[in-house]
Amino acid sequence: MQETAIIIKLLGIFLQYGLLLLLLFFVWKLIKFMRKDSQEVREDIYAVTEISNEEAVLTVLEASDETLVGQRFAFSDEIRIGRGSDNDIVLNDSFASHNHAVIVLLNNLYVIEDMGSVNKTYVNNQPITGRQYLQTGDLITIGSVTFQFGR
Amino acid sequence: MKTKSLLLVAVDFLIMFAGLGIIMLNQYPKIDYTPIPWALGAAGLGIFIQLFLIKGRFNDDIWIFPMVLFFSSIGIIMLARLKPILCVPQLRWLIIGMLVMVAVLYFSRQLKDMMQYQYILGVCTLIVLCLSLIFGVEIGGSKNWLVLGPFSVQPSEFGKILLVLFLAAFLSDHKDMLKEARKRFLFLDLPPLRFIAPLLVIWGIAILMFVVQRDLGSALLFFCMAVFMTYMGTGSKSYVFIAMCFICLGAAVSYAFFSHVQVRFNIWLDPWADAVGQAYQVVQSLFAFAAGGVWGTGFTHGHPGLIPEVHTDFIFSAIGEEFGLLGCTVIMMVYVLMFYRGIMVAMGCKKELHTLVAAGFSIALFTQAFIIIAGVTKFLPLTGITLPFISYGGSSMVSGYIMIGLLLSLSKKERMNGA
Repeated sequence: MQETAIIIKLLGIFLQYGLLLLLLFFVWKLIKFMRKDSQEVREDIYAVTEISNEEAVLTVLEASDETLVGQRFAFSDEIRIGRGSDNDIVLNDSFASHNHAVIVLLNNLYVIEDMGSVNKTYVNNQPITGRQYLQTGDLITIGSVTFQFGR
Repeated sequence: MKTKSLLLVAVDFLIMFAGLGIIMLNQYPKIDYTPIPWALGAAGLGIFIQLFLIKGRFNDDIWIFPMVLFFSSIGIIMLARLKPILCVPQLRWLIIGMLVMVAVLYFSRQLKDMMQYQYILGVCTLIVLCLSLIFGVEIGGSKNWLVLGPFSVQPSEFGKILLVLFLAAFLSDHKDMLKEARKRFLFLDLPPLRFIAPLLVIWGIAILMFVVQRDLGSALLFFCMAVFMTYMGTGSKSYVFIAMCFICLGAAVSYAFFSHVQVRFNIWLDPWADAVGQAYQVVQSLFAFAAGGVWGTGFTHGHPGLIPEVHTDFIFSAIGEEFGLLGCTVIMMVYVLMFYRGIMVAMGCKKELHTLVAAGFSIALFTQAFIIIAGVTKFLPLTGITLPFISYGGSSMVSGYIMIGLLLSLSKKERMNGA
């Protein structure tokens, strides 16, 4: 009976200190892991942002606004399309959203991303979800405007 | 690197089992084994979810979940020690919370699409808050509970989520108007009233409702969230100034008209005037911190049971007594790290709306922790509110896990599809 009491006492003391040490251990490890993790991310970003001097061109094929048809928009790393005046290509089209879509250069390839538009962005008549790579000759439709993508 | 986060989850559950072990040894020879299967279930589910997160189909951040589990396991051992009868319900809520989080992650795409319907969200916020006004039942001094069969739900916990979503949608949509279309008035930049009116209406009604329902903690929390988010969305200090005027006015008016506000404020100024009466709770909480000292009295060796409501609002005092300054510092540090991670997620988001949502949730959890920790240590007047993930409470647990689920689903750096 006495022995079990001693064992329980010892176990209790062990767990008491163990608990406190575990709390400290958790924070220590957490900070260490997170520091390492964030450094890795920084290196990653660095790798992605090596930009080449490629150029791409968007040509307007169709638009309800006749003056826009045939216009060419050249860009190198990013182009924003939408109804809002802060975009690179401002579409005066009631089916386009304020910030409709953006095309960015990522690892030497161009990527189109829908910025949460209401009427969606279509690439070759397929609505895109999230992001999608673009290839030369792809048709991008935003509202009533159709662009052809070329490099 | 990623698999190492499993170690953290393991440490979380070791903390839980060490705590439960200490309690069981104290019970010898009549040991109550009922929490063990639930705890094992929670541990299994936690490790499973972390593995699922490491696989990363719906998210990229793997450090937030171990931190949340850390709080949850501390909450569970404190409950097992303070109110053994509530330990199993709390474990059950933890499991429900984790399952809800997985569901949120699974439906993250649909939820992200729903985030842009600002006025629907705004109206929902008001409806949820009104529900408790109409059908509310008074529990523990504030009339903000809904009784649904066997459950009592605190709608304000869920209103918090809706408010963040509404503010984020509203601010990201009206950013240009709020930033640029403005008139100068004295040293303040004010936008035209019609742009800011919906914001003011939602703020005002939310806060009025809480004052009427005597839920001052939630009122303060909602107000802080709204101010922080407006500042983040517009970057204009004028709004902060207006909000400060607003809250000073509100505080003065409610001090003049509501007796319970007066009582809270007087207790804060001088708890010793009525130490055995109205200020009993705060005074006992201060005694608990004093008894804890730097190292604490040791788990199960303190007397936190003397504090009324110790298992919900005052759980931090119990931790302060039994784990001392050390344990308190650790917990506060982990809250800060969680906030930091949340802000990192927000910074990584592509869209303004998502940035504001992620930052809003981080702010909400952090401010909530700050308000109650400041309250129990008498840094600010006490306003009853739960300590996120640690206090007992199904609603606060589930709503906390919903927030974490949304935060995690926003942490996904979108991969290419197609190509």
